Parts: sequence; structure tokens; C-alpha cells
Amino acid sequence: MPLMFDDSSSIPQEQVTEAYLKAIHLIDERVAPLLGKATTRVLVQVAAKHVMDRYPFLYFFAKMPYAEIVPSVMREQLSGVTAKELSAGLDALLDECFAGLRELTGDLIAPPLYDEVLHQLEQTQ
Amino acid sequence: MDSSVHPRFPFIESELRSFHGQAADTPTTISQEMEYINTIGKRFVAAIDRFHVHRALLAALQERYGLAACCILLKGDPFELFIIPCHPLSTSFLEEMFQKIASAAHVIDFPLVSAEQLANSAYFDAPDEVVEYRTQEDIEGAQIGSVLNIPLTIENRIIGMLSLFDVVVGAFDTNLLKLTSMIADYAAVALENTRLRERETALWRQAEHERQRLELIINSMAEGLLITDAQGAIVSLNQFARCLLAQAKIDFQTAMPLREVAKKSNVLWLHQLANVIDQGLMGKTAMNQELMASGRQEIVPLTLSISVAPLHDVSGKRILPIGVVAVLNDVTSTKQVEQLKDEFISVVSHELRTPLTAIKGYTQHLIRRLERRLRKARTTQPEVTPSVTDLPENYDLHSLYVMQSQTEHLERLVNDLLDRSRMRENQFTLEYTTFYFADLLAECVRLAQASAEQHTFSFIIQQQNTQVVADRTRVSQVIGNILDNAVKYSPQGGEVVVRLEEWEGNYLVSVMDQGIGVSPELFDHIFERFYRIHNTASREYAGIGLGLFVAKAIVDGHGGKIWLTNNQHGIGTTFHFTIPRKPSSKGDAS
Repeated sequence: MPLMFDDSSSIPQEQVTEAYLKAIHLIDERVAPLLGKATTRVLVQVAAKHVMDRYPFLYFFAKMPYAEIVPSVMREQLSGVTAKELSAGLDALLDECFAGLRELTGDLIAPPLYDEVLHQLEQTQ
Repeated sequence: MDSSVHPRFPFIESELRSFHGQAADTPTTISQEMEYINTIGKRFVAAIDRFHVHRALLAALQERYGLAACCILLKGDPFELFIIPCHPLSTSFLEEMFQKIASAAHVIDFPLVSAEQLANSAYFDAPDEVVEYRTQEDIEGAQIGSVLNIPLTIENRIIGMLSLFDVVVGAFDTNLLKLTSMIADYAAVALENTRLRERETALWRQAEHERQRLELIINSMAEGLLITDAQGAIVSLNQFARCLLAQAKIDFQTAMPLREVAKKSNVLWLHQLANVIDQGLMGKTAMNQELMASGRQEIVPLTLSISVAPLHDVSGKRILPIGVVAVLNDVTSTKQVEQLKDEFISVVSHELRTPLTAIKGYTQHLIRRLERRLRKARTTQPEVTPSVTDLPENYDLHSLYVMQSQTEHLERLVNDLLDRSRMRENQFTLEYTTFYFADLLAECVRLAQASAEQHTFSFIIQQQNTQVVADRTRVSQVIGNILDNAVKYSPQGGEVVVRLEEWEGNYLVSVMDQGIGVSPELFDHIFERFYRIHNTASREYAGIGLGLFVAKAIVDGHGGKIWLTNNQHGIGTTFHFTIPRKPSSKGDAS
């Protein structure tokens, strides 16, 4: 997966979490003016439902709005999950979000935003 | 096919420029922008139903796009899908549309819905004026080239989705997306308003339907029903109440309180009605208050039975009622039957009285003669065998005692009936004499014992001087009725204890039996006329239900009290009544 951290095991879990939450906030920043504030929230929740089978530790993204999720909350929920697993799960979550965005608006928003998010994640590595 | 981007409004060109960073905020551009927003805003605000919203939406979108169709999918149970085509669409185009709507709906957390379900429930709203001409080849050959789905949101809540379809590939422009989203926002608010208006209309219709149904029921009631406001002015009355009250020849539609209406009227019963209503306004519930709605001189006067109940504010914040609801029943025919029954009882009891007096007199005469004969036999022939107690006269005397007791019982029944008639005619009076209460009680107990061999009577006096000024016959009647009941309602026999004591300056008589007892909920009814306890309505417990009614009238007449309690061990009942030592200065006799 292009968005995945290359060597996640050497990166603390908090850093992974923070990086992906920032990525989601960036998506919201771009999407909200065009499709409304509720859209990103719903996209993330639906995406979480899709990846829950593979990454059950991400269930809380489906239960609560992502804006209420802070690293400390995630830390509680993610005990026993490695940074690599977490990175893979959040990566899949983002992929699902972009798939949803493409379903809604085709190529109007998703491709440039994908590049922007990828760039931001690379910066945090 | 035309290019799908149709900037028909000059502002749209400027929006495109502004997206590309060109100077667009000139006064002319801002003015055009405001005019555009104002125009589409007005269209949505003016929409009175969802179809008007569709027109406004289509008009706004067609300013910029050459659409094939736009669709609105609304959340709900069931969901609703509206297809607004801009020109005729082929079946394959439609099928593809449903497929894409279903996929997009899933992305924004719609309940799972299939393309087939969407197709089955879709509503087509194709206004004639926007349908453009297309050849059959154009229609059949058309395929979806571009799709844009925008969530419809109200206050961060997704209520549905707007889907735009075009045959041209890449028809939707990123630069126009923000404006399209704004139009979707307008549409969402307008659709939500429409939904709320539809809901309001449906609720109003439902409430109106309920109101009409209630009005129909109230007007069909066999009872009269009237409702007043907090001041006591009639605000609503049904047909029956209107007819009943029409006799007062008063306009009840006036906003004047009934009390005021009554003051200005010479109709007597109106005052009574106002009194009953006033009780309700004070928060009291009044049941079956009788009211003579025509003159007493009439043979069968119109009699109404009124029950009122206070109406309280639903919020419960007001202590006083906000009005009164009154139910009026015409009980004239019941009264007529009662009157006939009373007349019949009066005649029959008078007719029974004469032969009963003769039977009682001759029985007494025979008893005395036999008593004399036996006394003589005892004194003159003490050596005669068998002994005097074995003489046939002795058995005859015993039979005569039983006859005397039963005759007195019958006499009490007849007297009760006669008393009931007297009470109805206000001719019930008390004849006061001075006598000893203990003597009267002892005599009554002796007579009761004579005709009740299964029972054991005991008499306890806790008072030395038992002198009393009262109506001896009537007090005897009270004791007789209570003892009769004690015997009658303890068919297995048992002990009957009669106690006389002083209580708060009065004489208190208590009669305790070991009979079947009385349920506490019947305590208030047992002194009503012709009232008989349901489980005693068998031949085993014969009676007419007047004894305690008359007893209460006599005790009340003396200024005393009568009540009953169940015995502590759950067996039997104790009746208590008090009689003042002498009549009060006000004079209880009436």
C-alpha cells in the first residue's frame, strides 16, 4: 500500500495514529466546503465498517465521529496492536474513504486530494 | 450532444475565473453573484411542495449543466427516490442510474438498498416544459458518461443524496462543484421544509379527523354533555344537552358564567345546575346530583341526574381547574318507575298492616290465656302427672311464642315499608318519651332469642343509669332490625353479643355477630335503601333491603350515628349506633 509506513515497527504507535488522524482532518478540510461537513464523518464511519472484518481494533471509528477520536482514546483501544498492524488498518481505512469519495464525485476531488494526503504522510515518516 | 457545461448565468464565468485565481471580485461580479444566489434562493423559498422544489432544483442546475437527469434519494422508512429527467431516458440508462445511486448511497451510510428496490420505488417527476425533444436513436444510444453525487445535509445531518447524470464524459467540473453543492444545500433545506410541512398537514388532518370523530361521538351520546371554562361559562355542549337545557330558554352560547346567567333568570333549576358546576370549579367531583328541571306540580317532572368533574390543565401547573365537564342524564322515567314502586309499596304495606294487627292481637290473647291456664295448673294440681312442662298447652305456648316473634318480625318489615313511604312524603316523625334503655334492649333480646334457637344472645350493660329520652318504638325498631340481620346473616348460628355503654355523652349500643361479615367497600352502601349485598341475593338471606336504611333514618333523626365494623378475628360484623341521652336543644325530632 503506497500510504503505509515503510518500517512501522520502529515508529511509536502514537506517531502512526497522529499521522493518520491528521490525514483524515486534511480530507475533511478539503471535502467539507464542497460536500458538507457531515460527509467526511460518514465516509470514515462507512469505511471503518468495511475494514472492521480485517482490522477489528478500528471498530471505534465506526461507532464515534472521528473528530472525537484523539490519540489518548486510541491508545486505550489499541493495547496489544502493533504499530505495523495499526498502520495497515488505518491505511486500509483511508483507502476505503477515497473509494467512497470516488463513488460520490468520480475524479473531481479524490485524485489531487490523494496526492496531498500521501505527501503529508510521507512528511511525517 | 451539447457540451455539458452551460454557463447560462454570467456569474458562472466569473466563478470559473475566481477558481483559477483571476481577479473576479469586481463590483459587477459580486452583484451578479448576489443576483444569481438571490434568484435560486427565491425559487427554493417559494416552493410549496416537493415538486416545486424539483422544479427549482432543475432550473438552478440547468443554468450550468446540460443534464440528462437529476435524482433525489431521501432517507426514511421507506426511503424515497425521485427521478427528474431532463429528456426521455432509455431503460438501460435508467438501470445503470439505479446501480450507481445504490452504490453511492451505500458510501454515505444509507440502509442497504439494491438497484432493483430503487427501480421499484422510484417516482418519476418529468415536467413537460423541461423535456427536450430527442430522437429514438439518441435515447437508445445514450449511456451514462458522468455522475456526481452530493449528500443533502441539514445541520450536519445527511437527509439524502442528490445525484446528477449526464451522457457526456467529464461533464462535471471541479470549479463548479462548490456552487452545485450550494444548490444541493438549498434543495436540502427546501425538501426538509416541505417534509415538515407535509408532516404538519398530515398531523393537522389527523387531529381534525379525530376532532370530527369525537364531535360525532359526543353528539350521538344518549347523555347530555357540557363543558365550561374556568369561569363557569358554557363553552361546548352536545345536542342532547342543548335540548335538555333549551327549556330554560336561555342562550347558552353567551360567554357569561352560568352563575351569572342563573342570577338573571327565574328558572329555579338553573341555580341548582350552577351550584353543581361551581363544585366542579372548586376541584370537586360530584356524582349523580338530581335536579328537577320542571315544576314539582307536574305529575312526572323532568328530572336530570348530573355528574361533574373538574378539568385540569394538562401541564398540571394550574391548581384550579381550567373548566368543568358535566354529564346530564334524563332520569325522569326512572323516577316515574320509582314513584310507582313507592306508591305500590305504600298501598301494600297499609293493606298488610290491618290483618297483621289482628294476628298479633289474637296471638297475644292466646298466649296470655295459655299462660294463665298453665299457671293455674301449676298451683291447683301440683300432683298431676305428667309434670306441667309436659302438658300439650306448654307446647302450644311455645308455638305461640314463635308465632308472636315472627309476627313482630313481619310487622317490622311492614313498618319499614311504611316508614320508607313516610320519609318520601316527609311525614316521618319521632314521639319522644322517657324510658330505660336497658329494659328496652333486654326485651328486644328476649324476643330475638325466642325465634332464634340456634343462636345464643347475651346482653352486657356497662352503665348503671340508662334513662333516655327518645322514641321508644323507633329505637326498638332499630335494635330489632339489627338483631334480625345478626340472626339472618349467621345461618350457622353462633353468639350474638349486645352491649350497652356510655360513649361521649351518648348511649352506644353494639351488636356483634359471628355471621358472614361485610366487605369494607360495601360499608358506605349498606345503609342505602333497597340495598342488598350481592352475595346475599339468594333466598337463604331473605329481605327487602330497607331495615338498615330505616334504622339509619331513625338514628339520624335522634341525632345519633350508626356504622359498622368487621370483627377483629375476621368472623362476623359489629353494628354500632348511638342515641343521645336526650334530644339536643335544636330538637332532633322531625
